[in-house]
Amino acid sequence: MQKTAYGAFSQSRKCMIKIILIMKMTAFLLIVGCLHVGAKGFSQKISLSLKNAPLEEVFQKIETQTGYGFIYAKEQLTKMKPVDLYFVKAELRTVLETVFKDQVFSYTISGENIIIKEKPESKVEQEYFEQAPPYIVTGRIVNEEGKPLEGVSVVIKNSKTGVSTNGEGRFSIEVAPGSNVLVITYVGLESREIKVSGATILNITMKPDEAESREVVVVGYGGVRKSDLTGSVSSVKSKDLTAYPATNAVQALQGRAAGVLVQANNGNPGGGFKIRVRGGTSVNASSDPIFVVDGFAGALLPPPEDIESMEILKDASATAIYGSRGANGVILITTKRGKAGKPKIDINSSYSTQTEINRLDLLNAAEFAELIKEVNPSYTPGTANTNWQDLIFNKGNIQNHQLSFSGGNDAVHYYISGAYFDQKGVITNSSFRRFSITSNLDFNATSWLKVGLNLFTQSNTETGVITQEASGGSIGTGVVAGAFKFGPDQPVLKPDGTYSIAVVGDPFDNPVATAVERQNEEVGDRLQYNLYADFSILKGLKFKTTFGSFINNERNGLFTPTTLNAGRNVGGAATVSARKVKSFINENFLTYTKQFNTKHTFSALGGVSYQKFINESFGANSQSFLSNSVSFWNLGGGSVSLPGNSALTESTLASAYARLNYNFSDKYLLTFNGRYDGSSNFSKNNKWAFFPSAALAWNMHNEQFMNRVDFISSFKWRLSYGLTGNQAISPYQTLARFSPVFTVLNGAAVNAVRPTTIANDNLKWETTAQQNIGVDIGIFKGRVNVTADYYISKTSDLLFNVQLPQYSGYTTQLKNIGKIENKGFEFAINTKNLVGKFQWNTDFNISFNRNKVVELPGGNDIIYAFAPGHMVGISNSAQVLRVGQPVGSFFGWQYNGVYQQGATFIPGAGFEQVVGGESFRDISGKKDATGKPLNEPDGLLNGDDRTVIGNPNPDFIWGLNNDFNFHNFDLNIFFQGSQGNDLLSYTLLELETLSAINNSTKVALNRWTPANTNTNVPKVATGRPQRVSSRWIFDGSYIRLKNLALGYSLPANFMKRVKVQRVRMYISAQNILTFTDYRGYDPEVNYRNANLNAGVDYGSYPNAISYTAGLNITF
Amino acid sequence: MAAIPMQYLTLQASTLPFNHVIKKLVMKYSLIIFLALLINSLLPGCKKTLEEEPVGLLSPEGFYKSKRDVESAIFGAYGMLASETLFGRQYVSAIGLRDDMSDIGNRGTTAERIQVNDFKMDATNGMVRLFWPTWYQVISAVNSAEFGAKSINLTETELNPLLAEIKFVRALSYFHLVRVFGDIPYIDKFISNPDDVKSISKTKEAEVYTKIIAELEYAKQWLPDRQPSDIRTRPSKATAASYLAAVYLTLGDHQKAYTEAKWVIDKRATYNYSLEPDFQNLFRAELANGLKETVFAVDFLGRINVGNNNDDLNGSMTGIRNTPQNGFGVIVPSLATFNTWNALDYRRKVSFEDSTLNAAGVLIPFTAYPNEKRPHIAKWRRFPGNANTDGRYSDHNYADMRYAEVLLIAAEALTEISGPTQEAIDYINQVRTRARNWPGRASTFPANLALAGLTKAQLIDLVMDERKFELAFEWKRWFDIKRRKLGDILFKGPNSLEPQPTFDATRDYLMPLPQTELEINPNLKPQNPGY
Repeated sequence: MQKTAYGAFSQSRKCMIKIILIMKMTAFLLIVGCLHVGAKGFSQKISLSLKNAPLEEVFQKIETQTGYGFIYAKEQLTKMKPVDLYFVKAELRTVLETVFKDQVFSYTISGENIIIKEKPESKVEQEYFEQAPPYIVTGRIVNEEGKPLEGVSVVIKNSKTGVSTNGEGRFSIEVAPGSNVLVITYVGLESREIKVSGATILNITMKPDEAESREVVVVGYGGVRKSDLTGSVSSVKSKDLTAYPATNAVQALQGRAAGVLVQANNGNPGGGFKIRVRGGTSVNASSDPIFVVDGFAGALLPPPEDIESMEILKDASATAIYGSRGANGVILITTKRGKAGKPKIDINSSYSTQTEINRLDLLNAAEFAELIKEVNPSYTPGTANTNWQDLIFNKGNIQNHQLSFSGGNDAVHYYISGAYFDQKGVITNSSFRRFSITSNLDFNATSWLKVGLNLFTQSNTETGVITQEASGGSIGTGVVAGAFKFGPDQPVLKPDGTYSIAVVGDPFDNPVATAVERQNEEVGDRLQYNLYADFSILKGLKFKTTFGSFINNERNGLFTPTTLNAGRNVGGAATVSARKVKSFINENFLTYTKQFNTKHTFSALGGVSYQKFINESFGANSQSFLSNSVSFWNLGGGSVSLPGNSALTESTLASAYARLNYNFSDKYLLTFNGRYDGSSNFSKNNKWAFFPSAALAWNMHNEQFMNRVDFISSFKWRLSYGLTGNQAISPYQTLARFSPVFTVLNGAAVNAVRPTTIANDNLKWETTAQQNIGVDIGIFKGRVNVTADYYISKTSDLLFNVQLPQYSGYTTQLKNIGKIENKGFEFAINTKNLVGKFQWNTDFNISFNRNKVVELPGGNDIIYAFAPGHMVGISNSAQVLRVGQPVGSFFGWQYNGVYQQGATFIPGAGFEQVVGGESFRDISGKKDATGKPLNEPDGLLNGDDRTVIGNPNPDFIWGLNNDFNFHNFDLNIFFQGSQGNDLLSYTLLELETLSAINNSTKVALNRWTPANTNTNVPKVATGRPQRVSSRWIFDGSYIRLKNLALGYSLPANFMKRVKVQRVRMYISAQNILTFTDYRGYDPEVNYRNANLNAGVDYGSYPNAISYTAGLNITF
Repeated sequence: MAAIPMQYLTLQASTLPFNHVIKKLVMKYSLIIFLALLINSLLPGCKKTLEEEPVGLLSPEGFYKSKRDVESAIFGAYGMLASETLFGRQYVSAIGLRDDMSDIGNRGTTAERIQVNDFKMDATNGMVRLFWPTWYQVISAVNSAEFGAKSINLTETELNPLLAEIKFVRALSYFHLVRVFGDIPYIDKFISNPDDVKSISKTKEAEVYTKIIAELEYAKQWLPDRQPSDIRTRPSKATAASYLAAVYLTLGDHQKAYTEAKWVIDKRATYNYSLEPDFQNLFRAELANGLKETVFAVDFLGRINVGNNNDDLNGSMTGIRNTPQNGFGVIVPSLATFNTWNALDYRRKVSFEDSTLNAAGVLIPFTAYPNEKRPHIAKWRRFPGNANTDGRYSDHNYADMRYAEVLLIAAEALTEISGPTQEAIDYINQVRTRARNWPGRASTFPANLALAGLTKAQLIDLVMDERKFELAFEWKRWFDIKRRKLGDILFKGPNSLEPQPTFDATRDYLMPLPQTELEINPNLKPQNPGY
């Protein structure tokens, strides 16, 4: 009997091991699922009517009715007796109790599973145990609040034996003779090891594991605990990124992170965003940060819904690991990944309606006619009274849907998501649509190898209207500028059925025609993948290699029919162009972590990477079509073919990088970073450069003397210094070049060239030296977290297109010259104001950045303008780079109001000298005998009298986010703003110059007339030049309510019944409130997005006010 | 946390754990080695990896291999002449606006144009800013061609005509520049490093002329009698001679001017020069390539445009606003120019658009034009050939020199040397005779001149008037005014066609060099007087 018993035990022991393992796995699945499943109670009602039913059948029935799964070994079934059952809507537990009443096995419920196990109190075994040394330890495990913990793993140390706790937190484990250690683990809680040496009943309380719950921050090539971070890094989480529907993730960053400026270039659906981390470090080269998606530098961004978090690396300690691409900050994007556990299905869906954010108050037909007739009495006004803004603006809408599946087991984790975003813009005929799939798979191939695949595809289609036109004369006037300028006395259609054309000023198309008739479609297809393999070579030593690639195909089609000037002139014009950008990247790096006698922790990282970019483009166009119905899909139908174009550029970046972290007692943290980058874009003498950084952090709260200050939970000082680079120039710029010249001989084109570019054998990176001092403070157990940083960054070797003497036959040469400086202060605080039933969290961030030019070639001003081409009078003079002044300072004359009767006119070529005309200040021009300027008035108005008249850089930018939760309701209020930035409005300049060549705003009603002399608005005058002066500089400060959202989640009880984890419904509104003094219609848009021309407004596509209703469902 | 128990399962399944460990290690490290090898093969020698090998871009190194390559750089210069910034608009507009016939039409146009027209220029003028560098790009192209020609092995008979063409283009460019600016930087070498010329000084006007003459002499010696297909957009011997005549005339060396002009006239058969019978045909773009009158022209091809190149806007600049012409109405002659021009002159009819069809198809007189109620220039707008409907991207060849001008140069120079002669009068009468050929109309105006009773001064005035009407709006008039210092009379006199009270003879015969050039190279100072 003993033998049998032993044999039975032995057999069951094997099963037992398996079961324990399964239990552990199950526990793992459950736990990693983070309990957001919410422990299911026994509320599932079961109805059964079975006679002498084998347990297999019983289990199946229960599985079907409840969704619970049974875990057992086949052998177990043979030992179980059939049962009789009759239940109507009984509790699961009741049913199970009956089923197992007379069985040799018992059960435990672990998460979604019912695990069949040996009955601990089985008499047979008890007898056996009593006779033999193995003993039983039982116990109950609770959390700090005394609530039982289910699924806690209890394992005998150095064995494979283990159990997990049941729904009441109880466990029972048989332990081999002698002294043993039980290892008790549970995700998010501190592991415990308990020594046992005999049958014991344990009551165990598990405390939260601080190390586990501490946030891990993603940094370049890895992640660190937030407390170990030495650099300046801002994190933005998924929830904030999806607070409202966003075209792309960059938009969603606006106002969320200190030191990060995000501005819409325009509100065009699918339009781009300008992003600056701690100001622009460059003048000529790009100041965009580099985006790194799951380790893939330069990759394309997935939609916000698929992003888990975005980390913005700001100081050199954080960015130097990206070397020559780190100077403008690095934005790390971590996409969502599957977690072990039951499959999770998320559905996020929203619908928004949109209207344009503002309009300009323009003259009506009668007022316009009066204005024109004031200088052109013979003008015959049209008979219409058209409100062009009414006609081009319409209600827009956005549909945004995402469906994702995620989950996994111990071997495979998966995340698959599809997202669809469809926007119809607030201007007729503008739209943007994207569809994307994000798929992340992770496999634990062996105990030492983990492999994975990130896959991302996106298709997007954009139809656009012209706004922010580079030039808008008789052809090319944009829809918005057109709606402002076009005479309101003209109808849309003339009596003959054709579109009206402007009758004053340039004969440009009316805005309705421009919006409706022009066909423009841009299509993008993207495929991006990144494969990785992660090897555990030795304890603490890991090797990771990745192979990634993206292909971005873009096609742009444009057809201008004969109903528009530009088409009419040529009988219709069609263009098709395409671009394919490919990149390949391979990263290989080793990480090693080692701890010595618990005080010293070293971790080291070293790797190499290789990245290649290939950019192919080509295009063709033709003109003169038989009909307007061909669109751009029949270039051959044009009787005039224009020269085609094609180009190929390739560039390569090869790098080696390393990082060393040293942590002493969690008090002192040291980080050294370095990257050695070689770029093909740079000249032959400067292909390679090294970018080092060093940082020190001090966790002051871990010092003895801080023990008494118990309201402070963390207090860390950070100090860093390092060099980063900017290599954002195009390939081949260092090479001398001949360019083709289109030349005609005897009516036919011939091959012709001329020298256009001179070699620069010494061109190299821009180097930014940045120092940062920061502090992170946590108060009241993390209820209040404060981060503050002060930084100074100096960029030298600025890449600049230096003007050459033009008589050399060349115009500019890209050189490293000049310096700029950015310094600033950033402050972020998040507080849990209220916890408990009513929760209130606040996030506030504010950033002050000061930018100035430190050095320029020869100390000379560089004067330039990015003005719409048709405003030729601006003549390349609107902004200046001047030593000591911020980049992009506005440069022009000081407006001195209107010349009144009896005023002394200041002479000057091109300046008015009439009563009612514009007057300007004569501030300079006098020269001494040697011709040196004295900065004194010379009695003449000319170019010498221009000065800095505005600064486009804000004094500070800020964001304030408040989240409230009460019962099932949540409320989000998000404000964002910019203070102290000036705007140069070419829109208002054009409308209010009052030279009778276009419509004007109502400001014109206050123009100077003999009867209205007390005014600053000049009289109407033909031929008045469009001149950049302080008259067009405006305070662009604003405060905007970016998002207001109210959500309601269905009650948990109800959710349990319908087997849905979460249903949240919300309504929200975006941009509904704006406080600004700016007279233009939106302070938040830009004409162009380079550093050189920030703060310039012209005919922008407006941002929109949106009202959104949405639904989030999780199964 | 419970580690993933996979390894336990794996171990369990194995009956020989030790073997398994070995197997595992072998697998693990061979995989790592394989990857290392793969990566190594993917990362070729870094040095080579970072070398740029642009495809589709032309590198100057080793570019010149044949005569054809040299020619392509000369052609590059022609392409730059036919650009928006030179003959397509900016340069010719600036020279046109400067004179007393072309005025600003739409005074809402840009200030820079008004400044040029009204003698209120400053050193930052936008028109100069655009055409100055382009002239030097023309020069840079032929300088490069010359470097190329000398760097390859060519026989004298191959090399010399190439050099001659190069020198002609360079002389042509400097002839324009020196008349506009006076002293200028003179570059006749290929520049591979701009630092080499960063601190040069201006070359004196007189010296520039000396160099121009030397280049044209060389060109005259080595250029062919006719270019292939007898095209007039490349120079021949006679082209060089005609320009020599113009240069000498400008310098007041009338003897040499006459000699060169006479040489061309005498050998007109060799060079296939003759006056086009119908004056209008000179301004019909579709006929441009076959005109025997053209001595040198800049060729635009209709409705094709590549950026600055081949972008002709003269038709648009002079076209009538808010009519089917869809013009800009920027350069519009003063009404006096039209009114003082004899209506019997066919050339007035050809030169002016004094009526136009409105949108309804009704012919309206200039007094009913929507904006500038003055006759507009018709030479470039009326028959732009295969062009856009607004006259842009025309098919015109803009003649910088035509045979009629050679005749008038000869007449003027000869009169200056010898006073009134029958020979000079004959040259003028050839031009007048053609002008009377008014198709469909018997025209007696302008009548032939007779020698009797003409004084030298009268005849000079007559030649100048003939130039004014014959070459109206062809960017010649300003240089005549400058050459003969007529500014005070023409802009301030009682019969001024276009009064410009601010005209200042001490300043306005020269334009200012671009301010930026003086800032980059202070050795170019002083700026021209008055700026």
